[in-house]
Amino acid sequence: MFNGFQGVLYRELNVFRKRAKKQIVASSLSPLLFLIAFGWGFGDRVAVNGLPYITFLIPGLICMSSLNQSFAIAQELNITRFYFHVFDEFLIAPISHVEIVLGEAAYGIFKGLLSTCLIFAYSVIFGVKLIIGPMFFLAILTHTFLFATLGITVAMLVRDHGDQATVNTFVITPMIFLSGTFFPVDKLPEIFKWLVYVLPLTYSTKVIRATLTGGDVNTLYLMLMLGFAATFFFTALWAVRRVEG
Amino acid sequence: MAVREVAVNVLEAEGLIKKFGDKTAIDGIDLRIREGDFTGLLGPNGAGKTTTIKTLTGLVKPTGGRICYYGKDFFSNPKEAKRFIGVVPQQSNVDRDLTAYENLYLHSMLHAIPKSLRKGKIEESLEFAGLQEYRDRQVKTFSGGMKRRLVLVRALLHEPKILFLDEPTVGLDPQIRKNIWGLILRINQQKGMAILLTTHYIEEAEKLCRSVYIIDKGKIIVKGSPDDLKKDMGGYVLEVFLEDRIEEEFFNSKDDALVRLKECGHACKIRQVTLEDVFIKLTGKRINV
Repeated sequence: MFNGFQGVLYRELNVFRKRAKKQIVASSLSPLLFLIAFGWGFGDRVAVNGLPYITFLIPGLICMSSLNQSFAIAQELNITRFYFHVFDEFLIAPISHVEIVLGEAAYGIFKGLLSTCLIFAYSVIFGVKLIIGPMFFLAILTHTFLFATLGITVAMLVRDHGDQATVNTFVITPMIFLSGTFFPVDKLPEIFKWLVYVLPLTYSTKVIRATLTGGDVNTLYLMLMLGFAATFFFTALWAVRRVEG
Repeated sequence: MAVREVAVNVLEAEGLIKKFGDKTAIDGIDLRIREGDFTGLLGPNGAGKTTTIKTLTGLVKPTGGRICYYGKDFFSNPKEAKRFIGVVPQQSNVDRDLTAYENLYLHSMLHAIPKSLRKGKIEESLEFAGLQEYRDRQVKTFSGGMKRRLVLVRALLHEPKILFLDEPTVGLDPQIRKNIWGLILRINQQKGMAILLTTHYIEEAEKLCRSVYIIDKGKIIVKGSPDDLKKDMGGYVLEVFLEDRIEEEFFNSKDDALVRLKECGHACKIRQVTLEDVFIKLTGKRINV
């Protein structure tokens, strides 16, 4: 029944397995640099929202890094689609588009969770205590699913590799810097605040940070995350269908 | 192969149209492939061969027309119809990062081959392709011929009823090309699988295909068996070597051609009509360009 889903995931995980070492090392570097620069740099002289800065920062890095990894499946899809035409194998097979989207999304979630684990390891090294409960799991799963399906959508809509890079430069990077990963968005001028509350990462960061640091989870924000996830699931489905146009 | 009393239609396409923007890639194509058929789709570059294959295999949605597999509309249940289809695309689309075995295993999953049968079928395929020794090597280390053989057996793994081959030997050495043609003939003859192939190599299509469709500018110009098409042209060609070009004249018998040769006054040569002559006469183009 779910042979298509399994097949897609089998493909992605096997390709990942062969590059696992390189990928893990590469994805562990940038959060470490942020931790050294901001975490040690500021030390505990700075407190944000009543938290030591490093405790504030680590949940932000989890959001950033898992977003990067989940969304990065777009880049891989691009290569399989445009250069090696492997994606055609999925389209020709007797499997549904839902299975393709869910298979790819599951891979995106896997990559996102892997980078999350990495940062948990850093948090131990840096002596930051986090609370990991069921609400956190719900939030991180929604967060990685949301950005994986956004990644699939983008990968299916772009015409080439260059377009993909443009999306990263103009959408993903600004989002990472503005959505409360490194500082509370409420400190932003009014006009920017309006902008960041359009970006899904803003809600992810607030919810995930709250779950990890024992704050109150805003139910509306969690609902909004689920809404984004559902929306991007359907845009991904639509975009895959459009490839056959 | 035994002659079938009643050959069942595997694939029927009627009035197939595909437009990209205001460019018409295929313009009202009708096709019928029966069980065990070996059919060639010939045409110059840009004639619409690849688009036809992509449309028939569900990679591209047609703008108009109907496609049926075993009498059932393709688009009302594509999942079911796709089980009948095997595809060898023009560009090898095996996964470079996976091994030969993993590529075949992936295909067996995507095509819902029962778990208990997978291993046996994959081993059989590797043997058929002569790739057993390389089963656990990543495909990126494979030569062009090895990749092509892998794509071929992968397309057969789920035992389709019709195999689409889009320029299966393009870019290969003559020796390897022959090897691939051998495999394809065996598939058609031993398994009775219908084959639809597009090719540039017209003399090979002539040898292999029992019927051919010649297409140009998205339209079918003529269809028939290579022998009938050649007979319709007359059977014999007189090549007249003029100063700046070669002129071809067609005759129904060698004797008629001889008569003309004697009165011609230029250097001449008589030969049998080839499928390429048919093609050039009909399209005004050489195919191997």
